[in-house]
Amino acid sequence: MLLALIRKELLALGRDIHGMGALFIMPVIFIVVMSLALKNVYDAPRPASLTYAVDARDTGEQAKAYATTWARSHGAPVPLPADWQERLRAGSLKYVLVLEAGLSDELALPSFPTSSRVRLLTEPGLDGNLFNTLKAELAGAAGELKARAALSETDATPPKAGASMADLVTAERHAGSGPRPTAVQHNVPAWLVFGMFFVIASVGGLFVQERQGGTLARLRSLGVPRSTLLASKALPYIGVNLVQAALMLAVGVWAMPLLGGDALSLRGIHWGALLVAVGAVSLAAVGLALVLACAVRSHAQAFAVGPILNVLMAAVGGIMVPTFVMPAVMQKLAAWSPMNWALEALLTVLLRGGDVAATLPHVGRLVAFAALMWLLAVVLFRKSSR
Amino acid sequence: MLAIDGLGFRYPGAPQAALDGVSLQARRGGVLGLLGPNGAGKTTLISHLAGLLPVQRGSVTVDGVPLADSRRANPTRIAVAPQEYAFYPMLTVAENLACFAAAGRLSGDRKRDRIAACTAFAQLERFSKVRAENLSGGLKRRLNLAIALLPEPELVLFDEPTVGVDPQSRAFLLDAIRSLATAGAAVIYTSHYMEEIEAIADRVVIIDHGQVLRDGSLAELLSDGPVVVTVRAEGVDAATLRPFGEVEADGAVLRVRLVPGQSAAAVLAAVEAQGVPIEHAEVGRHTLEHLFMSLTKRSLRDD
Repeated sequence: MLLALIRKELLALGRDIHGMGALFIMPVIFIVVMSLALKNVYDAPRPASLTYAVDARDTGEQAKAYATTWARSHGAPVPLPADWQERLRAGSLKYVLVLEAGLSDELALPSFPTSSRVRLLTEPGLDGNLFNTLKAELAGAAGELKARAALSETDATPPKAGASMADLVTAERHAGSGPRPTAVQHNVPAWLVFGMFFVIASVGGLFVQERQGGTLARLRSLGVPRSTLLASKALPYIGVNLVQAALMLAVGVWAMPLLGGDALSLRGIHWGALLVAVGAVSLAAVGLALVLACAVRSHAQAFAVGPILNVLMAAVGGIMVPTFVMPAVMQKLAAWSPMNWALEALLTVLLRGGDVAATLPHVGRLVAFAALMWLLAVVLFRKSSR
Repeated sequence: MLAIDGLGFRYPGAPQAALDGVSLQARRGGVLGLLGPNGAGKTTLISHLAGLLPVQRGSVTVDGVPLADSRRANPTRIAVAPQEYAFYPMLTVAENLACFAAAGRLSGDRKRDRIAACTAFAQLERFSKVRAENLSGGLKRRLNLAIALLPEPELVLFDEPTVGVDPQSRAFLLDAIRSLATAGAAVIYTSHYMEEIEAIADRVVIIDHGQVLRDGSLAELLSDGPVVVTVRAEGVDAATLRPFGEVEADGAVLRVRLVPGQSAAAVLAAVEAQGVPIEHAEVGRHTLEHLFMSLTKRSLRDD
């Protein structure tokens, strides 16, 4: 009996083109588009590729040396156009360095500056990270010139050519033995979670149809237990979730490199932890889907409430906008979103190389949420199938 | 087979009972016509038999066994063919039958045989691979019928099974349902089409406001009313016929419900005495529709 009802559910889903699209095609498209669009998000900002000009109002030796040092690491500037302010506003010139009079004197002094001698003017839309990077690099270059000037006044050995304070620091993202962070590594779990939770739209549609069309009453009158009916709804969609996971991972591993993106790396990940995380996400998603299916009363509600709730949860939960760019209040709100727990559980495995124990805080929340949803679904189903 | 005795049911929060002491019986080999306007309590009664509502008051027994116990032991003894197309439109006819056969706990050869038998009974063989959503109204009704018969129920309840079908499909469905009773099943048939009930039912129960208003054989119910003489004659003075009974005039057609002691011959003689030629004359009992309307009144039922 259960197998026949599961088969019915899968046949109905398989013939629902829109449902299939929402569950399988849409997340794939999101993964591809977002991964390509955010391809460089984990790379360091590249200020060297930006078009810039220098407005040298100080023609002293130190100011010239400063401009030369900058040009070595950021490329040669374009000649300063007469309408540079307009071009800056329009964005065709990314930034202009204004070297104010007195800069050379300031750089030669063995003391910390007390007033601004270098002005960085950028186009209005310059990325905040780039803006800060440029500012820090300008300060760093000035500091280095000051240090060289100060050193030349002492008996110390002059620094080697090419030596720099930058050599003092190395930086890397630490993920243990896990994969290298890339946009694909972040977007596959994010949109996989989104797609898995989209079962809330598919389950509800057929359930409303069964209730309104009398099919559910007919099945009940044939003596089909409520537990069997609920299981026949839940099990196929847990299967759907697993297929989604396999498909999205496959897209990340094999399709993304063909499309010009980075490949999803599964090297070094803990497969048991991945299975546990996907399983927990599926239980939570299907539980929520069952609750909504039992709660909605019409097709209009089913087709509106499910997707809207999904998109809202995605927005709050860090799927659409990463939580680290959210303000503190929104980050606290995100911490209450099941989609955020799901995302963090998968990121723990796929981005941070975590094992089962590392996923447990998020998996635990997901399982508790799933238990609550399943309980609520049983109560609502008893009520709605009378 | 089925005995309902004093069945009462009130929905939570409802001001009045949906069923108030309903008693009726359905026997094997017979068709019980169940009539009632919208809101009379038919759906509530059907929901009880389908096991979707608990018995609050009175009793429902199947061969002397309480309905709940009977359903627990064998939930498919009673089948309901609902008014709605209660199947999956996106599945084919064969897939629907397979799904509901399994839901009715059929398996193996028995499942295969019953699907084949019900497909043949409803003459759906040519449409096995057609999705239900692409069937005509009549074919959908036949699929509804076939699904109801899959577990070979002993009592089948048809809830307005001919709504929206053409005359040919209606005739087919009525013949098929009648043949079920002939084969030994107990059949309860609800419809708003009085002529269908007259054509198919052995007994008729009329309910309204949750109560049984009439329960008897079709012949008994129809013999309850007066003899009706219908005459078509241009220019007859209706007032001259009033001594014979209640007169209803509709253009040239006069309908006289005879009072006791009067005869049809006397009415015809009175018309002829006026020198008016009689174009058409008919003598008979009143119809089920007359009885139904007189019992349930003409006021519209919106619920």
